[in-house]
Amino acid sequence: MTQVNDFHGPDFYPDLNLLSLFRGEVVDTALQYNYKVVKQFAIAAVIWGVVGMLVGVYIAAELAWPALNFDTAWLSYGRIRPLHTNAVIFAFGGCALFATSYYVVQRTCQVRLFSDQLAAFTFWGWQAVIVAAAVTLPLGITRGKEYAELEWPIALLIAVVWVSYAIVFFGTLVKRKVPHIYVANWFFGGFILAVALLHVVNAAVIPVSLTKSYSLYAGVQDAMVQWWYGHNAVGFFLTAGFLGMMYYFIPKQAGRPVYSYRLSIVHFWALIFTYMWAGPHHLHYTALPDWTQSLGMVFSLILLAPSWGGMINGIMTLSGAWEKLRSDPILKFLIVSLSFYGMSTFEGPMMSIKTVNALSHYTDWTIGHVHSGALGWVGFITMGSLYYLIPRLSGKTEMWSVKLIDLHFWVATIGIVLYIAAMWIAGVMQGLMWRAVNSDGTLTYTFVEAVKATYPYYVIRFCGGLLYLSGMVIMAWNVFMTVCMSRPANLRIVTPVAITPAA
Amino acid sequence: MSTAVLIDEPSGVAQETSCFHCGQSLPNGQAWTVTIAGIHRPVCCPGCQAVAQAIAGHGLADYYSERDALPAALPDGLADAALRLCDEAVDTGEAVLSVDGLRCAACVWLIEKHLAHLPGVASCNMNVATGRLQVRWQPDRCKLSDILLALREIGYAVYPFDAAAQEARMQRAAKNLFRRLFVAGLSMMQVMMYAAPAYFSGSDAPDPGEAVLLRWASFILTLPAVVYSARPFFAGAWNSLKQRALGMDVPVALGIAAAFLASAAATLLGRGEVYFDSVSMFIFLLLCSRYLELSARRKASSALSALTRALPSSAERLPEYPQSRHSETVAAASLAAGDTILVKPGEAIPADGILLEGDAAIDVSLLTGESEPQRKDIGDTLPGGAVNQWQPLVLRVVHPVADSTLAALVRLAERAGQAKPRIAQWADRVAAGFVACLLMFTLAVFAYWQMTDPERAWPIAIAVLVVSCPCALSLATPAALAAATDALMRRGVLVLRPHVLETLHRATHVVFDKTGTLTVGTPGVTHIVTACPKDEERCLRVACALEASSAHPLAMAIANAARQCGLPGEPAADAHHIAGQGVEGTVDGIGYRIGNMAFVGGLCGVACPWEDDGILTSVYLGTASRWLARFDIADALRQEAGKTVARFLAEGKTVILLSGDRPEAVRRIAASLGIAHAWGNYLPEQKLAFVQALQRQGAIVAMAGDGINDAAVLRAADVSFAMGSGAALAQAQADAVLLSGRIDGMQEAAATAAKTMAVIRQNLAWSVLYNALAIPAAAFGWLNPWMSAVGMSLSSAVVVLNALRLLPTCRGKVGMGGMVEQIHTLNQPSHPHPNPPPTRGREHAGRTSSSSYSIGAR
Amino acid sequence: MEALYLLVPLSVLIVFIAIWIFFRMSDSGQFDDMVGPALRILQDDDGNHPDPFDSGQ
Repeated sequence: MTQVNDFHGPDFYPDLNLLSLFRGEVVDTALQYNYKVVKQFAIAAVIWGVVGMLVGVYIAAELAWPALNFDTAWLSYGRIRPLHTNAVIFAFGGCALFATSYYVVQRTCQVRLFSDQLAAFTFWGWQAVIVAAAVTLPLGITRGKEYAELEWPIALLIAVVWVSYAIVFFGTLVKRKVPHIYVANWFFGGFILAVALLHVVNAAVIPVSLTKSYSLYAGVQDAMVQWWYGHNAVGFFLTAGFLGMMYYFIPKQAGRPVYSYRLSIVHFWALIFTYMWAGPHHLHYTALPDWTQSLGMVFSLILLAPSWGGMINGIMTLSGAWEKLRSDPILKFLIVSLSFYGMSTFEGPMMSIKTVNALSHYTDWTIGHVHSGALGWVGFITMGSLYYLIPRLSGKTEMWSVKLIDLHFWVATIGIVLYIAAMWIAGVMQGLMWRAVNSDGTLTYTFVEAVKATYPYYVIRFCGGLLYLSGMVIMAWNVFMTVCMSRPANLRIVTPVAITPAA
Repeated sequence: MSTAVLIDEPSGVAQETSCFHCGQSLPNGQAWTVTIAGIHRPVCCPGCQAVAQAIAGHGLADYYSERDALPAALPDGLADAALRLCDEAVDTGEAVLSVDGLRCAACVWLIEKHLAHLPGVASCNMNVATGRLQVRWQPDRCKLSDILLALREIGYAVYPFDAAAQEARMQRAAKNLFRRLFVAGLSMMQVMMYAAPAYFSGSDAPDPGEAVLLRWASFILTLPAVVYSARPFFAGAWNSLKQRALGMDVPVALGIAAAFLASAAATLLGRGEVYFDSVSMFIFLLLCSRYLELSARRKASSALSALTRALPSSAERLPEYPQSRHSETVAAASLAAGDTILVKPGEAIPADGILLEGDAAIDVSLLTGESEPQRKDIGDTLPGGAVNQWQPLVLRVVHPVADSTLAALVRLAERAGQAKPRIAQWADRVAAGFVACLLMFTLAVFAYWQMTDPERAWPIAIAVLVVSCPCALSLATPAALAAATDALMRRGVLVLRPHVLETLHRATHVVFDKTGTLTVGTPGVTHIVTACPKDEERCLRVACALEASSAHPLAMAIANAARQCGLPGEPAADAHHIAGQGVEGTVDGIGYRIGNMAFVGGLCGVACPWEDDGILTSVYLGTASRWLARFDIADALRQEAGKTVARFLAEGKTVILLSGDRPEAVRRIAASLGIAHAWGNYLPEQKLAFVQALQRQGAIVAMAGDGINDAAVLRAADVSFAMGSGAALAQAQADAVLLSGRIDGMQEAAATAAKTMAVIRQNLAWSVLYNALAIPAAAFGWLNPWMSAVGMSLSSAVVVLNALRLLPTCRGKVGMGGMVEQIHTLNQPSHPHPNPPPTRGREHAGRTSSSSYSIGAR
Repeated sequence: MEALYLLVPLSVLIVFIAIWIFFRMSDSGQFDDMVGPALRILQDDDGNHPDPFDSGQ
């Protein structure tokens, strides 16, 4: 009972199949998966990845060579830094999460998405959010809260899109034909619900005009809520969601089951319930009460255990098949991403210890930490998953060029290493310089001296980022060439047991 | 597409040396092949060929490329008629089945894909962890038997799943415990977060309003743990109090209740200390220990349940026997005592029955490990589960299947697993005493502190209650025994009564039976001496022809020897037996006699050229005026007997051999094994008296016998092991059965007993040390409640984990198939055949003057 | 720290919702088989099998 797809040669389809994504097409539903919205999000993720990283490289250059802001408001660092963070987290990461969650939930439930129209709305709605962000943020329309800068109309749109996303995702789960809900879906589901809650709570504002609002919370309360949101956004958006990706694509690419399925379930629950109170570690030595800071520190340390449990579970999936790492660059992306995950989830708890934080807070070490997690864990797992996904969506067996994947990997890895090494050194140096006091109690260094000393590291960081961006461009090229000559994909739903007589 | 072809040479066949399907080596000379994807693949037998053809024919050949483990042995399965019976039993269109033979992911794929092809199957869901297959089908288009047949076709044995069984009960218990554990864990993690700030001091401390909020949060989050997760402790305490006993649950329940109520009061009234973190942590950690212990017991129980699969589910009843041979297929479960059943060759006997008709040779390998067929005479009782080898048999059922030997045995073993051995009962009594003292001590401590420093009275009392840990007694001891029993089970020793381990350890005397215990039990031909050189084959053939119809063990030995030499066995036409003497008959026109020296000498008329050494049993063959051959027949020693005896001697136990056989033979065996005390010609009553005399002198006697004649002695001994032949099981008088058929099972049991006792002693020592230190520390106020909770839980975990060290370390098989397969492998004798055929021993040096062959069998 | 009066009750509520979800899932048998699902995703064939008559990429 194999499905028969009639493969037509390349002459049957026009050269640019991208257009077909945006034409209305009559699709034979119920017996096929909805690959259209998956493909849309996957390609969008690649595009926004290039955009977001380009902005990132630009602002890195601005820090080293401030003249690059050309005295233009909408090119200045303060304005476009949030554009960079939003683009890489919500545009690049968000689209990747949408693409992979829609794909995984369909294939593991053996059923088409709950609602094609709602899924299409999530796509266009999300793109609208991104475009709106790209317009408003450089114009200075911002709430000023990290990862929650977008003003209230866009925040409303985000909420609407997100509710639709939840309906599509959970609706598909309810519709499922397979009794068991695969663990990746737990991670996706948890991420969706948590982000909804976080967003709603943190975006509570009093609007005064279409482009301006004031937070419902004030002062240090606002800070607490913000970093309750901020760290949980990292925890659920950037960790739980991508762990869902990890638990599906690593086994599939490696051809081996997850090392311990039981551990993955334990991992999920442990992670969900320890993340809640780690937020205060962003606010050490601020106006936040000491006990809250201490609580944040203790629970950040405890978070180490479930995080590493997940990492080990993922890496050990390859146990007995390590040689696949040598020949398969996609697997390299996926497994190395877990190493960076382990590194970041070790570094993070260390940095949340008050004494360490006293050195690292406000320095570039924090930036280094963020980027090892973002470039290493989030970036690589996304790239590996998209390299798996895109050929399958395009009716191919592999990407247009596997060698380019390998090149991408090495270029990106070198980029990351340069980046984080530069930032570590810069960060520690800044911290030490800022706190250095003379014997008479005066500061040894002026602030500007510390800035000057950081300059070479900013240049190195810029180079690292540039390499990472080049890798992304290579990926975009590879993706373009793969998607170009699309063929019909294998999207027929093969039900587990025949309901009609066997052929 | 696939062909059944006998191919002599490998041309056209892939160069392989093992069966493509099951991986076993190909037999010499012949080969069957299967064509898969255009390539001819050799397989080892028609069975594998059929399965492989089925797999390929259904388009599932991917199985071979995807699998990473070889399949299990092909199932004997249910006869087709029997399968139809299942349809009557289950017609609702839904069933849960137990699947054996799961090896790897590809098996799961194969089963689900194959079932998908069956018309009418609505859904099938395989639970890989437990081996359960849930199937739903449309009754008007498909029947359960079709499903069972389809699965058998591709090589999987499938049985109905018995939900009432012990195993299912334990699984439900485990699920419940897991849920409680989850809630407790969640509660603990959350409450720890809200309670932590209370431990910060100085500028770190929360201000009063915040503190109140955190307390209320802790209170609400502890409620699920106390009300739901801790219910087993409260229920256990209540049960033990109802029985006027003080179990371990009593202080635990008291501690939890006291701490929680005090904290709740403090929260409501707004003053005083709260201990919510201690309570939730305590509940969680204790449940962890319970969960570990339950897992150990589940493993032991599941191995047992696998044994019940040996019984077939259908039977052929002869309702009008003896008037008519009309038979009907009925469910085995419906057989009643007095029913007459027919068992065809190759089928398993469904229930214990008395043999009415037929020449019976049965294979009791699943029950005992011996694959040599046992001959049974009319009037003998045959055990359910044994496989009929030669001829169709007619049996009269003795008792229903549920009471069959095997089922009774399994029930006994299950009860043994639940029953408390003496040491556990002792542990419980000590624990009760300990708890009583503890409660009084706690009251005293409370009173003291109430007078000196009232604020601390309550927390200190709670700390004392919580920190005490009699867990080594009530928790770890049963866990150790369960783990040890499970380990033994997997090595082929079935423990039927709970006291086996502790008594064996303390035994001072070990008494062995000879025949069937230290020796293999079936005589074999060890030596053939012939008058003319190179005449052995002819003499053997003649002897076999004469003895063919005799059921005497000596005759069987000769028949076996002949069979192993590949000699044909046409019986002599006119053989007639003279009881106690031998057989006389004609072969190829010549008259022969075979039997003892006097009998044969009567035909020969001349003196016998050979001497009877008086040790081995000799059977002579002669014809008129000529002696032809002497067959020396002996019962070979079991290979592992020497090691076993040596071990017991090394432990300082007195080893005694008591046998009903001739003293010379007994002395010879005793000498070869190094047993100093050996007596022959002992009747069963004399053996009993001997053992009782020893016991009166204060000895603790361990006994090993094969059960047939030794029932009374086995029961009288302090701990007894049965070798497990059919009759022994029927009596089930022994305390343990050596299912593997190897006497070194006793050695295993002794070694395990020593380890178990050591573990229990270690646990007790730890418990004493811990309690001696921790309780006074708590009483002095050095421990606050959360430290007590941690301490007690850790101590509890230590003793349980120590007990679990006794578990067997084998892992790896998927699901239940692995368990059953282990039982089957256990029961295949792993030593080479004890009575190898008489060989043309050119390589053996040292011959007697007339050609004779010495067989290197012992 | 008034924000806590929002965040703490919210978190407690989430815990109870999570317990409820867990029990619903456990009842529907989600945690009964901790081995099979990991194998099953591998059996789902989502690859595109090349057409033997296809000339090129």
